[in-house]
Amino acid sequence: MNYAMVRSLIFKDWYFQRKAILLSLAGGLASLGIVIFGGNVGFYIGLIFLITIMIAIGATLVMGTLVGERENQTLAFVMSLPVSYREYSTAKILGNLLIFVPFWFTLVAGSVALIVAAPTIHGLFAFTVIMAVEILTSTCLMIAVALVTESKGWTISAMMVGNLGINVVGYIVAHVPGIKDGMFGTVIQWRPAATISLAIEFALIALFIVGAFYIQSRKKDFL
Amino acid sequence: MNDLCVQFDGVSKRYKHFSLESIDLQLATGAVMGFIGANGAGKSTTIRILMGLVHQDEGAVQVLGHPMPADQAAAKLDIGFVSEDMRLYGAATLAWHMAFLRPIYPRWDQAYADSLLLRFDLKPEQKIKGLSHGQRVKAALLLALARRPRLLVLDEPTTGLDPVARVEVLEELMAVLADEDRTILFSSHNTKDVEQISDRITFIDRGRIIDCDDKESFLDRWRRLRLVLPPDGVVPRLPDIVQVGGSGRLPVLTTNRFEPAMVSVCNDMGATVQAVDTMTLEEIFVANVHSRRERLTA
Amino acid sequence: MHSDIVISQTDSRPMYLQIMEQVKQRVAVGDWAAGEEIPSIRQLAVALRVSVITVKRAYLELEREGVILTQQGKGSIVTPDPNLGPRLYHEELSEHLDEVARLGNLLGLSEEEIARRTKEATSRLTESRLAKEIA
Repeated sequence: MNYAMVRSLIFKDWYFQRKAILLSLAGGLASLGIVIFGGNVGFYIGLIFLITIMIAIGATLVMGTLVGERENQTLAFVMSLPVSYREYSTAKILGNLLIFVPFWFTLVAGSVALIVAAPTIHGLFAFTVIMAVEILTSTCLMIAVALVTESKGWTISAMMVGNLGINVVGYIVAHVPGIKDGMFGTVIQWRPAATISLAIEFALIALFIVGAFYIQSRKKDFL
Repeated sequence: MNDLCVQFDGVSKRYKHFSLESIDLQLATGAVMGFIGANGAGKSTTIRILMGLVHQDEGAVQVLGHPMPADQAAAKLDIGFVSEDMRLYGAATLAWHMAFLRPIYPRWDQAYADSLLLRFDLKPEQKIKGLSHGQRVKAALLLALARRPRLLVLDEPTTGLDPVARVEVLEELMAVLADEDRTILFSSHNTKDVEQISDRITFIDRGRIIDCDDKESFLDRWRRLRLVLPPDGVVPRLPDIVQVGGSGRLPVLTTNRFEPAMVSVCNDMGATVQAVDTMTLEEIFVANVHSRRERLTA
Repeated sequence: MHSDIVISQTDSRPMYLQIMEQVKQRVAVGDWAAGEEIPSIRQLAVALRVSVITVKRAYLELEREGVILTQQGKGSIVTPDPNLGPRLYHEELSEHLDEVARLGNLLGLSEEEIARRTKEATSRLTESRLAKEIA
């Protein structure tokens, strides 16, 4: 695999999405500020901003870097470069995740830090971590679908499935015995049920990414 | 050493409404091959298979010694590709594209790229979306040429260009050939361009290669015989006549294997040969396709 | 890229014949002297924007007719024969005279008729030359 080529492709994608990336960065930092210094109200507002920006940048990047190539007919130009599906797929997946994950991680770390610092909501620890990873899982689904289908329709459907999934999973997880009891308690606990939930989520992430890669390798028409 | 730049062996590709069947193709290093075919005949599909953008269902493809599509990344390092349906990034400038490609291709020649900018009258700081169609084509060509590729693959390179731009492009394409190791494959509707600069010509129709030969052979072999028949005369039956046109006492025979002896044979059969016309490549192509389709429906 | 030779697009004759004719003209007129180096096949192809195979064919025919010589690996030169120029003109004259004979025959003219017509043509030429000199 030609890593120099992958890097070139990633930087190219970031270049064309630079406005969105920079705006999100600025917005994210501002939201962080509101969360930390905004008192109680600011905490919630800032958090909502952060989540919104994170979802927005995720979707924008996916649409711009994956669906955009086909819509703008630049796919032929990219594939005429010395690349195979390997470099192309790797560049797309990494290009998206390398931007999204820092946002996501900031949100998760911030939330977890707050939970740990405030005894009254200690119980939310397991639930929060599981839901945060669920957001990552749903994003990976979106990236995988966009990479494989290059279609606006399918990608939007994947987004909707992802959103639905988050809500459904949220409901289920909040009712699983090992997590439900203690969720509103003041103790940080981590039960096997939580571990299993996380394991399932990470397995799904691996499935989506590896699955997308595999489907790309079997594709017979790149145009 | 394999002197073939491109080789197709029994390549087939099947789509729902169209299929490419048993394509055999050989392009020697240093040659120019012109690909002529109607819309939807399979030119673009063949070229995409060559570039590894589409994987064949059957058959072997070798480009610059690399099996395709398996080794496509290595092959494409030495290929410059421009196609009709290819677009550059509209939001970026030509300068950006050059800077993007430069580190990718080891043989990138910026001095040559700069001279092409002058030659093609292109402004590097202009955004691609602000360029006219002709300018976009020239920009794409510049980017393909500046990497000094061993193989140039062009799908309709002169389509949509004004006459002056066309000549500029043809000159630059021919200049590529000053180096004996460089090869060009291009498909075009413009049979005049193909006729002018091709060494070898391939006709493709409805997913099959219907003829492939040296250009000079085509121009030598095909003739129109204009005959004058006597009052009750009959059109002489000759071998290798692919079409009979004209009417009444003035038939016109089209042959794809002309021999000077045919003239005397006609005269012996009572039909005076009024003229033996050469045919342009376009006429040859059309006659070739028509006669083949007639044979298939007969 | 400018070239010594210019190809006409409206000339319906095969390209290689046009190239041959122009090369012969240059030699006949003396622009390309006997023994002088001429552009290589590839160089001429690039300059004329014509396929290599066409130029190659023209050069092969020219070599066959003794107009040029191609040295292996060293390019091509005009045949180092001092009589080449006049010889080419003589060959062209013979071709035209053959055509005169053929057409005269087709028209059913006698040998004397054909000869008389030829003499008329040369007289016309001389007269027009004199007229230009006077004017």
